Amino acid sequence: MHLRQLIQPTGDWLDAPSPRRVAQVAGAAVAGLAIYGFTVGFWRDPLMGIYVAIKMPLLVALTLACNGLLNGLLGLLLGTGLGFRQSLLALLTAFALAAVILGSLAPVTFFLAWNAPPPDAPGAANAHAAYLVAHTVLIGFAGITANIHLHRMLAAKAPTRAAATATLLAWLGGNGFLGAQFSWILRPFFGTPTLKVEFLRPEPMSGNFYQAVWHSLGTISGGFPVPALVIALLLLAAPILHAIQTKHPKP
Amino acid sequence: MTTPETASPAQAPPLEAPLPETLDLKTLFEALLRRPQALVVRLAESNHGATGRFALMTLLSMLLFGFVLGCFAKHEQLWAAPAKVTAGLIFAGLICFPSLYIFATLAGARVTISQLAACLAGALALAGLLLLGFAPAVWIFAESTDSLGFMGTLAIGAWIIAITFAFKFLKSVIDSTGGTQKSPMIIWSSVFLLVTLQMTTSLRPILGRSDHLLTQEKKFFLQHWGDTIGTSLKPQTQNVPAPENSRETPPTNEGRNPFLEN
Repeated sequence: MHLRQLIQPTGDWLDAPSPRRVAQVAGAAVAGLAIYGFTVGFWRDPLMGIYVAIKMPLLVALTLACNGLLNGLLGLLLGTGLGFRQSLLALLTAFALAAVILGSLAPVTFFLAWNAPPPDAPGAANAHAAYLVAHTVLIGFAGITANIHLHRMLAAKAPTRAAATATLLAWLGGNGFLGAQFSWILRPFFGTPTLKVEFLRPEPMSGNFYQAVWHSLGTISGGFPVPALVIALLLLAAPILHAIQTKHPKP
Repeated sequence: MTTPETASPAQAPPLEAPLPETLDLKTLFEALLRRPQALVVRLAESNHGATGRFALMTLLSMLLFGFVLGCFAKHEQLWAAPAKVTAGLIFAGLICFPSLYIFATLAGARVTISQLAACLAGALALAGLLLLGFAPAVWIFAESTDSLGFMGTLAIGAWIIAITFAFKFLKSVIDSTGGTQKSPMIIWSSVFLLVTLQMTTSLRPILGRSDHLLTQEKKFFLQHWGDTIGTSLKPQTQNVPAPENSRETPPTNEGRNPFLEN
């Protein structure tokens, strides 16, 4: 498999979800995420880099494994005509594309980590904040691109554009919902300078991502978490919906 | 290389062959997901044997989903929650079936009682399969949170999504058997949904724990949800300060910020 096939899949890409193809795409996703993950954790500590290189592919694998049945059922019920293995290949391809994008940026992010003030330096807090923002922007870009890509693949297979959009949104909702909780369980990824380097925080299964975010939204919005949540969701959804509307108009 | 934009549009599916003589579990599973119309036609014939298999699928999937819900409180709920969830759904199906036949007929469908029974069993089996799809995610949260409100919302959300697809299947049954009116099935679907939601209160506790297996106190489900949404499975520690501007009981992990532990 060439990278070009992954980035520019043909219309029949999902027709042959052979174990070999699935394994190749999974391999690309693991490689990209591992390389990028290493650069994410490297700033805190090289050991942290190794941990994150393991945890990033693990995050995707756990999400897809736990939601595999649901994704397959939704793909069939929402009318794309995709079977279970085709759904898995479509989602893996999207994750692999995001991984390839992030992996290709890994030299840049490694350079960023290399040049940032060390975690024990006086300006570490600011460096940490800037580091977080930079990676959030990159991951956001890769995620949005991958979802647009996924919609393109679905639209090529689905009988109607509405079916492709509904399936994309259902998958996005389901995987995003569970993936966020897995990211909570598998934390830390960036490595807060004041906390020690470890693979998982103590009692990783204790706690819930959404309750913590809800509390944070309440704090930063002065007790009005609902408007803050609506604004955050609109900011996340707007670029995806805009891209779907403009890049894939109705035939 | 052809890019997806230039790829030919999806071709219309070929004419469907009838379902095989023997409707085993795999065939029924495939038919529910891929060929609901062909399944409805097949269920009109006698000796399909699908009703029992659909009931079995429903039973097993609800027992498993109930077990996942029971993992939230553990202890006696590991067996009580699956029993209550399964019994509640069967009871709801039984008491709503007479009205389903009447409302389907009102909608214009020409369907026999046995065919409709098989279709209802199929719809519930489909909902059960979807709940099985949600089960791993629900289990992750059952092991991670103590908030009854969060778990209740998650479980009810999964149920509403699952039953929506079941209603969609029943709608295709009505449409493919000559039904022309939409409103009778919309009303029946609302009634069935309300009955199942009331079951969450009538059979309480399903998520939390109690000294009694069932309670005799009568309550409307919205009132029960309102009473329990802010509560936690574990007693709150006294040294955790309550957030300002909040009247609800704080969740157990409210002091933890994902953006400070990254």
